[in-house]
Amino acid sequence: MSAAAASPQAGEPISEQEALRRLRQSTDPSQQYYGAWWLGRMRSQHPDAVPLLRAALRNRRPRDLGAGVEENAVARNAARALGKLAPAAQAAIPDLLDTLEDGDPGLREAAARALGELGAAEAIPALCARLASGPAVAGAQLPDNPRLAEPCEALLEALGDIGIATAQVLAVVEPFIQHERPLIRSAAARTLLQLSGDDRWGQLLVELLDHPQLQVRRAALMDLGAAGWRPAFGAIAATLAENSLKLMALRGLVERGSGAPEDDALLACMDALL
Amino acid sequence: MSEHTAASLAAGIAAVQQADSAQGLLRATQELAASGDPAAAPTLVEVLGFNNPGAAVAAVEGLINLGPNAVTALLQLDPENYGARAWAVRALAGIGDVRGLELLLDALGSDVAASVRRAAAKGLGQLVLGALPEATQHQVRQRCLAALLAASSDGEWVVRYAVAVGLESMAAGLPPHLPEWQQARAGLVTLLAAAADNAPVVQRRAHLALLRLEQQ
Repeated sequence: MSAAAASPQAGEPISEQEALRRLRQSTDPSQQYYGAWWLGRMRSQHPDAVPLLRAALRNRRPRDLGAGVEENAVARNAARALGKLAPAAQAAIPDLLDTLEDGDPGLREAAARALGELGAAEAIPALCARLASGPAVAGAQLPDNPRLAEPCEALLEALGDIGIATAQVLAVVEPFIQHERPLIRSAAARTLLQLSGDDRWGQLLVELLDHPQLQVRRAALMDLGAAGWRPAFGAIAATLAENSLKLMALRGLVERGSGAPEDDALLACMDALL
Repeated sequence: MSEHTAASLAAGIAAVQQADSAQGLLRATQELAASGDPAAAPTLVEVLGFNNPGAAVAAVEGLINLGPNAVTALLQLDPENYGARAWAVRALAGIGDVRGLELLLDALGSDVAASVRRAAAKGLGQLVLGALPEATQHQVRQRCLAALLAASSDGEWVVRYAVAVGLESMAAGLPPHLPEWQQARAGLVTLLAAAADNAPVVQRRAHLALLRLEQQ
């Protein structure tokens, strides 16, 4: 068999063994990048998957724009994949905590999301520390690009996903309700709603469903779905956005929410959007 | 048609064709859709191909309100115009006219967009068959059922959800002793299964459908 026949061409589906092989080799980072993505996408249960993804996280390089970004791209995909492999990826929490201190904000973002997906309570102090300086410092826009000093959206959402409502966590999150960017306000309201169940945060998200920017309305839909806040169902159905997103949000209300309205009313609302 | 309405329809059509902004097109489409005039159908179908989602939504609503009067125009759509076809599937699903059968079957079985497959699944469950001879009704229902049952293993939760809705509305119009009723019920039982890759919302929808059918 020729080498070309043994190795799948670009765009062809690959097997789990092939994905593991690509991540294991170290000569071609673009193959590692794809292998890491594949393992997360397919939610691989192979015993080698988590150790290989952890190794890829440890192989990240100091941030150096223009050179050496390739390893960081692999590490970013490895972090994302580890989040998708929860709960099997618990062993990777220490590596993700290290990555949360990396100089590359894109990597910190991926690590924060993965820690949230893993429900890693031990990450709460580090997540809070990154946000503690508040909207004016952690939430300030960087001078040379549109990113914020910290990946605030991911850090806030991770605290909500972990779901432990201490006074310290609430005190760190609440100032972000005043952030100048509506997407950050939406993330903060979602987290506070998840942590406290207080209706005023749900109301704030419902107000964002009326925002003039479609991108903000979409984020508020996803945030209401993540929090499962059922009183929003009528406002969700009436939002000016794609039905696909409204259906995803309503699914969140059915699966994560409780109380009024009952399932029947929510399902009827979904039926009408098909 | 009176001279007055003919003139206002012509003006409405011209307004859609000459709209020079997204907002202008949306407004003109809403007005034309609100006319309720069957002669507006070909122009509303044209709007489906303009790549303006707001206007397309308004056009789909207008076409659904026209009902069977809109079907001929919808079926004349260029099959190569993918974007327009996706909207047309939604309109045909909402109208429920049996002339849309082939397009809906094709969409559910092979469209790449989950949003199109979900609309087709719902539509296949609510085709209006009452005016057809009994044997034809049976034939059409068998084809709809086969397509819905095949799509109950679709990879997207929202399509499986729509299949549950389609199966319920199909069975709801039938007496329980018919084999089609039994097959639809069996499909719902499959969707009720708690599998790792089956979303709880799909299970709850299938559960609700089965409850309602048992009470029938």
